[in-house]
Amino acid sequence: MAKKVLVIDDDENQVRFLTVALEESGYDALKAYNGKDGLEMIRNERPDLVLLDLMMPKKTGFTLFHQLRKDDEYKDLPVIMLSGVAEVLEDLDSSSDDTHARPYDSLREAMRDKIRNMKGDGLLKPEMFIDKPIDPELVVDKVRELIGN
Amino acid sequence: MLKRVPFYWKLTIAFAFVIMLILMIDISLERISEVKLRFFLIIAVTVILSSISAWMIVRLTVRPSLSKLAQGMDKLAKKRFDVRLNENDKDEFGHIFSSFNVMAVLISSYQTELVRAKDFLNSILESTADIIISVNARKEILTFNSGAEKALGYMREEVIGKPIEMIFADPEEREVAIKRLKYGDNVVNFETKFLTKSGEVKDVLLTLTLMRHAEGTFVGTFGISKDITEMKRLQNQLIQSQRLSAIGEVFIGIQHSMKNMLNTCKGGAYMVRTGLAKDKREMFEEGWEIVQIGIDRMSDLSKDLLKYVKDWKPKLEPVDLSKVLSDIDTEIRKSAKDKGIEFHLDIAKELPEIPCDAPMIHSVMMDIVSNAVDACFWKDYSDLEKPNVCVKAYLRNGRDKAVLEVADNGCGMTEEVKKKIFTPFFSTKSKAGTGLGLSITSRMIEVHNGNIDVESEPDMGTVFRIMLPMNVNLKNKEISDGKESAGN
Repeated sequence: MAKKVLVIDDDENQVRFLTVALEESGYDALKAYNGKDGLEMIRNERPDLVLLDLMMPKKTGFTLFHQLRKDDEYKDLPVIMLSGVAEVLEDLDSSSDDTHARPYDSLREAMRDKIRNMKGDGLLKPEMFIDKPIDPELVVDKVRELIGN
Repeated sequence: MLKRVPFYWKLTIAFAFVIMLILMIDISLERISEVKLRFFLIIAVTVILSSISAWMIVRLTVRPSLSKLAQGMDKLAKKRFDVRLNENDKDEFGHIFSSFNVMAVLISSYQTELVRAKDFLNSILESTADIIISVNARKEILTFNSGAEKALGYMREEVIGKPIEMIFADPEEREVAIKRLKYGDNVVNFETKFLTKSGEVKDVLLTLTLMRHAEGTFVGTFGISKDITEMKRLQNQLIQSQRLSAIGEVFIGIQHSMKNMLNTCKGGAYMVRTGLAKDKREMFEEGWEIVQIGIDRMSDLSKDLLKYVKDWKPKLEPVDLSKVLSDIDTEIRKSAKDKGIEFHLDIAKELPEIPCDAPMIHSVMMDIVSNAVDACFWKDYSDLEKPNVCVKAYLRNGRDKAVLEVADNGCGMTEEVKKKIFTPFFSTKSKAGTGLGLSITSRMIEVHNGNIDVESEPDMGTVFRIMLPMNVNLKNKEISDGKESAGN
């Protein structure tokens, strides 16, 4: 039986090309357009992996992710975060708190704390971040890396 | 002993003495028979004796007192204020001496007071770090305080009497300040540049005052300058770094926006490629459509960028806001309904026409109302609550401002987000929009001389209030012009 991968993102186009790419590689692709529906889908369909966007209506990717990690049933469910903040993580890794040294991005600033929290607790870290612009084939490769075919 | 006798007594005694002498001479000349000769002799002797006795009296009594007075005056003139005259004399000189002593005491105390006041002023002039220079009517430096010495590197001996122009980097600037001075009485915080002895240029703020005599003749100028070189340097550094950071912010904003658009294009391109490779026409077409969406969004960004930098000049005309708002109602109601959001429109009865630029206000309201709809869409509502957006138009109490209010019960904003919503490219909606919407909106309101007020609370909702001035006197002409051109 094909492995199930759930794509949760409010960008319909992104959901569309990711599901196409997953299906082309033999996965069973599921989709949800916001965090709330996404959680319901996880409960009902029990996917093998979740591709999760950060900024979404109803329930953000952050909230959903935390909820999953705190839940014994889903704490081991592999999650790939789809976001433009992977580089922020690199920034955090490579530098101190001195944000004056380079121009800052208001968006990144708003996310900084949340990501820091995520980093602080090893358990709370998602398996992977993938930055935009997303290459659908790369996503499929990463999915394969994590859960196999 | 003679000194204690009053002056008139002395005269009386002298005359008595002269008369006695004359009588004695008269008796001794009895032998001279000719009456005439005898008379002339008596007269001559009288005159001589009177003169001698008058001279003796002055010599013996008045002169010592006068010379004492003269000596006293002399000492006073030599600033020996402790000089005192003996007041024991009972005559008029005693009075004069006592008046002299009072005068000497007074002069001495005035002098002390003057010295003290002068010292006080000097200590102020010398202790301040400000550059204080006074100049006479011939433009020569009169005084040069230690602040000036420190700041400009000259010793006062080097500059006093020299032309004031020597310390100005551009002497013409002094003339500009002086010209201004002639129209008013002083020039406050005139920004100019001084030249130090070593040739360094210092930025200063000069406050110049005219010095006049009591009768009004111009005697020179008095200038206090503050050295602001360091302050200016820091200010320039700050401006520079702010400029860099602003440019950086804009670049990152554009890059972020483009990244989202590229994401769409890249995904669409993948589908086009796969559709072609696997000969799936449907996938190819769908992919192409997605690429098209990405391209459209890029052209939106390009338009918004232009819109943002445009020099907005509103064409003010009396506008019936109910018409503008009902257009927005038509455009928004359906998409709101599709998302399960209720939309209310409430326009105050008898709302007069508002002086504004209708297309701009339409764009502003469209932006804010769409944001309100998005805010509702983003919130996870409980069963007890229903998403709604309410638009109101009314006149503020006092009828000086028209208010356009957009209230929603959507996801709301934290204080930090609220602070940044008018910043270009700040966006919490990573995919939709260009991040320039509210920045453009706020600029449009600004050029109307209006203002935007935002109240928001996370999970409770947001209220945007746009206030447009009703009394646009200055723009009356534009309003009537607008009418004419509309009529043409």
